Amino acid sequence: MTGLSLKGVCKQFGDLNVIRSIDLSIEPGEFVVFVGPSGCGKSTLLRMIAGLEEITSGEFWIGNKRADQLPVSDRDIAMVFQSYALYPHMTLGENIGFPLRLAKVAQKEIQQKVLKIAEVLHLDNILDRKPGQISGGQRQRVAIGRALARDPKVILLDEPLSNLDAALRLEMRVELARLHKKLAATMIYVTHDQVEAMTLADRIVILHNGEIAQVGTPLDLYNKPANTFVAGFIGSPKMNLFPAEIDNSVANASKIRLKNEQNEFNLDIPVQATGPIQMGIRPEHMSPINEGGIRGLVNRIEHLGSDTYVYFQTNNDASAVARLNGIAPIQAGEIISFTTKPAHYHLFDQNGIRIE
Amino acid sequence: MTRRSKSESCLVYGSASLLGLVLLCPVLWLFIMSISSTRDLTTLPLQWFPSEISFDNYAKLVSDLDSSTAESFLSALRNSLIVAISATTLSLLAAIPAAYSLSRLPGSRRKSLLFVAIATFMMPPVALVLPLYSTMGALGLLNTHIALIAVYCGILVPFTTWLLKSNFDAIPIELDEAPLIDGANRLQIIWHITLPIAKPAVGAAALMAILMAWDEFFYALLFTNDIRAKTLPVAIADFAAGRVADYGLISAAGILATLPPVSMAYFLQKSLVSGLMSGSVKG
Repeated sequence: MTGLSLKGVCKQFGDLNVIRSIDLSIEPGEFVVFVGPSGCGKSTLLRMIAGLEEITSGEFWIGNKRADQLPVSDRDIAMVFQSYALYPHMTLGENIGFPLRLAKVAQKEIQQKVLKIAEVLHLDNILDRKPGQISGGQRQRVAIGRALARDPKVILLDEPLSNLDAALRLEMRVELARLHKKLAATMIYVTHDQVEAMTLADRIVILHNGEIAQVGTPLDLYNKPANTFVAGFIGSPKMNLFPAEIDNSVANASKIRLKNEQNEFNLDIPVQATGPIQMGIRPEHMSPINEGGIRGLVNRIEHLGSDTYVYFQTNNDASAVARLNGIAPIQAGEIISFTTKPAHYHLFDQNGIRIE
Repeated sequence: MTRRSKSESCLVYGSASLLGLVLLCPVLWLFIMSISSTRDLTTLPLQWFPSEISFDNYAKLVSDLDSSTAESFLSALRNSLIVAISATTLSLLAAIPAAYSLSRLPGSRRKSLLFVAIATFMMPPVALVLPLYSTMGALGLLNTHIALIAVYCGILVPFTTWLLKSNFDAIPIELDEAPLIDGANRLQIIWHITLPIAKPAVGAAALMAILMAWDEFFYALLFTNDIRAKTLPVAIADFAAGRVADYGLISAAGILATLPPVSMAYFLQKSLVSGLMSGSVKG
């Protein structure tokens, strides 16, 4: 188990800044998930940690060893590729044992180790097959097995589940969580799927345009998104944002007035902000009331069985969605009002930064 | 699969048969000539099928060891084998890492290098032969295997590099990065991953290289002058260059000269089977 730290790490491809000054330290044994939309630089950052991409500037440390100039093979980092990258001409056993063969481990020892890994990953019956003869889920497990072979300090996973179907993805997710607990290895996992991020991570790193938007535990990010980007990224459906204004005329309390909306939302604590702000409310925190709150015209209903998504248009023309438990008897075309407890207000300033 | 109509089938099979005929006719005629007697070949009008079948010409070439005919043929066969195999082996040894480097490693200068390599391949041999001849002469290499091997390497390296590079390009880059992560260096990647996956391409490149070296006539004619280094094409030409051209003998030598490359192609065809890529990435 080894920690990693990145200090002011940057990556440029020509004139393009893909990664802009990332500071991050990852604790030994931690499961960190890099998440973000396509093109946010998450895979590039992972490849820089692996050594497959050079670091343009900044420092990278593995444990207490400076590593940004270290060749890939000396970093003792394993990686699972999105495409699995199994060696097609080798059997599964040879695939898993390949890193050990390169490390000149004795043949007998390799066999024992491969067998042990295969048992953990439920591959022991098919070790003689070639990658072309097995299913996607099995290939994924072989790729993970190969990464485990050397007992690496750090295991990197680049969207490992994205090629699997939904049911298999769920199964492998649970298996990965189990594996991390068992191995207690430092793992860095890249995904664009927030559910994978929320369920697997000790800490999530949200990347946006090559910068860290926020780092924190899954619930931290959910409860206290640092900015509107994180607020919109974590949670499904995404957080509603309403343009609003703050009224601090009463001492020790603040009133939030949504634009074009008659009703005010009161906070007992004063908010240090002036001018226009944005108020965020998660869809699942909106409860219907008869009068007051946020009013809108329902334009679409989605029934998921367990939940009902109510899409509506507010008076200030903002689209919003509410998530109600169970099957709600609401129809499109209705006028509806929602309210929220003050604890569930998220306030953001003009630049989209969270106001505490 | 859609069913072909009768006329379509006829057309397809007819064209295939025509192609087969065009390809096989010269070989067949060569074979007929090789088993005909000199008399049958020189009569007018031409005797299409020999009145008597005789394998004397073959016997003359391979078994009658004291005659100058057999001696020159057998030593030419040996020279050809040595030159073709050595040149192919050396070329592949250079071309495999070169192709890997051109296909995988970064740098814009590599691309122009490949272009230069292709350009040398395009140059007509006549343009090169004089400087090469005087160089070989100065080095005392004329009429040796080394001279031919060196010249053939010059022809084969750009060709095989280019052939292999385009095949290596088709291998996903992850299959380079994964072994890198697993702790391999570049040579180990080539040996353990790239070559086994590109085996069909390497087989094809080797086959083409052997054939090119085996059939090469121009340099061989100029750089060799006796049985120490003469290769088969030159030796066969010699049979035709005497006062009396023995067509039967020439044909038999031609048939025998095709046997080594044909048998090599037969054995290499197993490795030419593609489809090894399945299941490595995605699926």
